[in-house]
Amino acid sequence: MTEAEAAISAASRASPRNWRLAGCLVGGALVVAAGPFILDTYSVNILIRGFLYALVALTVDILWGYTGILTFGQAAYFGIGAYATALIFTHVGFEPATILLAVGLALGVPALAGLVVGWLSFYPGSTPLYASVISLAFPIVVTQVIFSGGTFSGSSSGLVGYEAFDLSIEAWFWIVGAALLLAAGAAYAFVKSEMALLLVAIRDNEMRCAYLGIDAPRVKILLTAALATVAGFAGFGYANFSGVVAPEIAGFVFGTELVIYVALGGRGTLLGPLIGTVVIDAASSYLSGDLPYVWQLIVGLVFIVVIVALPNGLTPLLGRLWHAISGQHDRQRRAAPVLESQSMKAAPTTATLEIFGVSKSFGSLKVLEDITLSIVDGELVSLVGPNGAGKTTLMRCISDGRERSSGTVRVNGEDIGGLPPNRVVRLGLGRKFQTAGVFESLTVAECLRIAGTLRDKPSPRRPLHVLRLPEAARAVVETTGLVDSLLRQARLLSHGQKQALELAMVLALEPKIVLLDEPTAGLTNLERRQIGGILRELASRHRLAVILVEHDLDFVREISSRVVVLHQGRIVLDGAVEAVVGSKLIRDIYAGSGHG
Amino acid sequence: MHRDLLIATVIALFGLVSVGAALGETPIKIGVPVGLSGANSVVAPSVVQSAELAVEEINKAGGVLGRNLALEVADDGSGAAGAQKAFDSLVFQKKVDVLISMETSAARNAGLPIVQRGKTPFIYTSFYEGRSCNPYMYVNAWVPEQQVPPIVDQFMAANNAKSFFLIGSDYAFGRGMLQFTRAYIEKKGGKVVGEEYLPMDGTDWTPIISKLRASGADALITSTAGGAPNVTLTKQLRAAGVTMPYGNLAVDEGTAKSMGGDAAGIFISASYVTSIDAPANAKFLAAMKAKFGDELKTPNDLSVPEYEAVYAYKAAVEKAGSTKVDGVIKSLADVAVDGPRGTIKMNKERHAPLTMYLGQVGADGGVKVIKAFKDVDPGDQCPNLK
Amino acid sequence: MSLLLDVVTTAGVLFAVAMGLLVVFGVLKIINFAHGALLTLGAYAALVTTKLGISAWLAWPLAFVSGGALGLVVERLIVRPLYARPLDAILATWGLGIVISQVITLCFGREVQFARSPLSGTIAILGDTYSVYRLALLGVSMALGLLFAALIEGTRLGLSARAVIMNEDLARGLGIDTRRVRLLTFMIGCGLAALAGALITPLSSVDPNMGVPWLINAFMLVMVAGASFLSLALASLILGGAQVIVSTFVSPILGGMTIVLLAAVVLRLRPAGFGRD
Repeated sequence: MTEAEAAISAASRASPRNWRLAGCLVGGALVVAAGPFILDTYSVNILIRGFLYALVALTVDILWGYTGILTFGQAAYFGIGAYATALIFTHVGFEPATILLAVGLALGVPALAGLVVGWLSFYPGSTPLYASVISLAFPIVVTQVIFSGGTFSGSSSGLVGYEAFDLSIEAWFWIVGAALLLAAGAAYAFVKSEMALLLVAIRDNEMRCAYLGIDAPRVKILLTAALATVAGFAGFGYANFSGVVAPEIAGFVFGTELVIYVALGGRGTLLGPLIGTVVIDAASSYLSGDLPYVWQLIVGLVFIVVIVALPNGLTPLLGRLWHAISGQHDRQRRAAPVLESQSMKAAPTTATLEIFGVSKSFGSLKVLEDITLSIVDGELVSLVGPNGAGKTTLMRCISDGRERSSGTVRVNGEDIGGLPPNRVVRLGLGRKFQTAGVFESLTVAECLRIAGTLRDKPSPRRPLHVLRLPEAARAVVETTGLVDSLLRQARLLSHGQKQALELAMVLALEPKIVLLDEPTAGLTNLERRQIGGILRELASRHRLAVILVEHDLDFVREISSRVVVLHQGRIVLDGAVEAVVGSKLIRDIYAGSGHG
Repeated sequence: MHRDLLIATVIALFGLVSVGAALGETPIKIGVPVGLSGANSVVAPSVVQSAELAVEEINKAGGVLGRNLALEVADDGSGAAGAQKAFDSLVFQKKVDVLISMETSAARNAGLPIVQRGKTPFIYTSFYEGRSCNPYMYVNAWVPEQQVPPIVDQFMAANNAKSFFLIGSDYAFGRGMLQFTRAYIEKKGGKVVGEEYLPMDGTDWTPIISKLRASGADALITSTAGGAPNVTLTKQLRAAGVTMPYGNLAVDEGTAKSMGGDAAGIFISASYVTSIDAPANAKFLAAMKAKFGDELKTPNDLSVPEYEAVYAYKAAVEKAGSTKVDGVIKSLADVAVDGPRGTIKMNKERHAPLTMYLGQVGADGGVKVIKAFKDVDPGDQCPNLK
Repeated sequence: MSLLLDVVTTAGVLFAVAMGLLVVFGVLKIINFAHGALLTLGAYAALVTTKLGISAWLAWPLAFVSGGALGLVVERLIVRPLYARPLDAILATWGLGIVISQVITLCFGREVQFARSPLSGTIAILGDTYSVYRLALLGVSMALGLLFAALIEGTRLGLSARAVIMNEDLARGLGIDTRRVRLLTFMIGCGLAALAGALITPLSSVDPNMGVPWLINAFMLVMVAGASFLSLALASLILGGAQVIVSTFVSPILGGMTIVLLAAVVLRLRPAGFGRD
């Protein structure tokens, strides 16, 4: 298997997709080189501005199309970059030293602002709506700050007449065009890389990411800051080329225009927003002289139609049309990533989960009362009890330090205190949810790759070629047959396959303690037996501590080494399988005649 | 069959175009970037009307050097961003021979680099804060040296005003005018007790008006962008019951008329009022009424210079013998134009001495002239551009 | 004293403007970004009454009805399909706002125009002279707020609306025609937006883009207020008051961003804003 797949993986590096990318870049370079000779001065002028806007539109697409963050604020970073440049050139001067200062500020101030805005927008519990609200408020604040600058910042007049790079219009076209192509190339490499998978994962299921140890807010904040820097750089270019900076370029109206360009071009496609921005901006400049309102009206109407009926924009529509015309096959055979084993070096072999006096109340309603429990490696503990007994709540209290009302939880000797899930997971704990939490838009292989983020940071440059999984995870993938579906999108998997995938993902973390919430729910008999076998192996061979919440008492009897019974928030029985399962108390509880 | 039809149509069109081209020489294009939207949109229509009348009259009389004049109007949004687009479009796309227009200072400043790059003559027809200089620009409207002293002197003499409150729009014009006003007031022994600004498009003057009332000033002088800010400020001032002497450095007769009774009592200082008693003015007003009828927007201090500037350009082209830039630029300083404002020559460092009128707005919106000052010098505006 | 009046009258204006947005957000759970354009629509309705020479008071019902009529069309075509996609609803309604502005510009021209006020002059109050219209506006806002509070509490539609606000699936399961409730609520929200536009025109001017700054402030107020009129009134008073104070004592320009900034901070510290959790 290894050799063949290695060969395929080598072939994938020279895949048709890479040829297509190279072709696009070469084509783009030709257009940029030839442009000034074919087009008149006015058009060249318009296009240079359009290229700069397209650079910013790329950042909007990465944030919105790929990461799911709707942002109206990229214009503000663009404006900050432009104003920083213009302010330095106006008030300090135009020399090599000040130019460097201007570049530094044009990149640095937006980065700083991005960190602040990110910190405000992304925190555990923030909603996408709130993030959009902040992204709307930010450009307004920036424009007001510009207005309040009086004669220093030019206020309503803006800054004009400062000395800047005096290049011919052809030179500007080539430089800006080249910059745009480079940025597009870099963006393309980025969205094909492993890091981009992480962004999609965060967009699809942020909670799952938290339970994989990923600090999603931190990723989003850093992404915002990085893209803010790119927008600021475009602003630097704009200030130099245009010679005029006015408050409008930092405003939210421009910010929403960028969103419109991206939506119409096709969010999440990079090429779509790039072309969309250049084309629509150029058309606006030409038509707004002759038919200003009708053009805007048309753009507005098309925008509404696209949002309501064609969320993927117009470019994919054109793409499909092209394929229909040329009769090309859609998907080329992509090579599956190579599967390798990799285990952590010198992992501790003991696992302990200690729970002392944990309680959880919602107001006056006590859901859990004084739970005390210890579990060590090699044990397979089933947590049983009727609905409403508090089982899932207990799972939550173990994995999320902020949940419990009182008591202590120690994972592998460390007190979890008030740590959020992504930190608790790093102590060596994994949790599998009742409803399979996978990343719907990613393939099986990609899901597994992201699951391993803690051990192996995703690369921002290389795409997924090799999938390294620890023994336990690899065993699950191979036993359940997922290995044959590595390229299938997770949303297309059957219920049982999704459960298996999620289990493999959790195991990819190499946790010592695994919490599973109803792992057999909805599985076929065959699947149930597979899972049972896997769980037994996890406990006996891999020496993990496995804790299940389960309703199927037969399953419990088959695989567990110990059973804990929860009833109305308290532990009522804790012992060996036969003793508990056969007891009268269990029968009473499940029949409903148990005491309260 | 279709292909033949297509060829035939193309040939026919080609023929039409050639015939059309042969019939008349290409017209001389006058670019008019003006604030059709935004703050200036209240006055822009009157500016366009002035330009249209001038072009019509000149074409009827045989054009300039045998060629007709044509207007290209573009919207500059009353601001810097819009002006860039408008100037770019007029200079590089429509390739106009000259730009003649009234604009906010923000728009003008943003357009000048493009004028420079495109080497296009530019006659700026709007009053402004002074000291804007460009090798390609001439100005035929007033600057603070000509306009401010009459108002301040009036308040100090007739109303015994010692303390003044200044309100403006926050951009080059507002700040520049009030800077000059403050210096003049202090030179004459008065005091400025408050100076407040709102951005050009701001509409809520409430906190500033509250500050005004608390300041105990004797008189108010304002310099907002021409058009909408004047109206909102005045409306809100009157709604708050402010009745102190009020000098408005930036309002024109047309805007005052549209304010209804609210404008009554405002003092203005202008180079044009409709009540100027001169044959040239009467002829001009009659021609405007005849051409536009009910659609006529009151000619005012921002629109009449536009009319005169078109004639100035005609004279300069005829003197230079062609529309080539260098000749036109040189000739513009030498030609004198007789218009509704009298005889005007832009021979003082690209600016023009003007007759100024101190007036007060009446209840019907019309302006009553109190004093006239003949041929007031604009001072040293562009010492490097003799 | 006039500072106090400035604060309450400003709060009154903000409340009137934000009411329509709150009604829509509370029941339909979407943000109607066409709110600014609807405001503009109502303002132009007031302009039409000025141009036709009829009584300026008629501007108010005219505005309300035109807003409601537009709301009927919009809900069916744009809002209903996007019910499950709130962020996309923001975008689609923003596009709608652009379309409305452009149509207004095509019909009325893009220049700034002015509408007549039904009331003018000043009145002596609490030892100071103050604008009659601003005080009247405060009264109208309070009356509207009380009217709608009464509607919500006292009518069947109001009851149904409250049920939908709390738990739409349950409401539907209980037999409430949630589609009709959403449609009527959206129409009322749009009507209120247009009415607010007619109310504010005498204070300033009318142009095709006048609604945008109001949209942002109204949006932030609604985010902070949650779903009740009372918390909206509170938010208008506190944030509006802050705006007036900053404008008066620091700078009118910084005052312009006070509401936005304060609202963002409040939401960060207490995601429920002024409302109950």
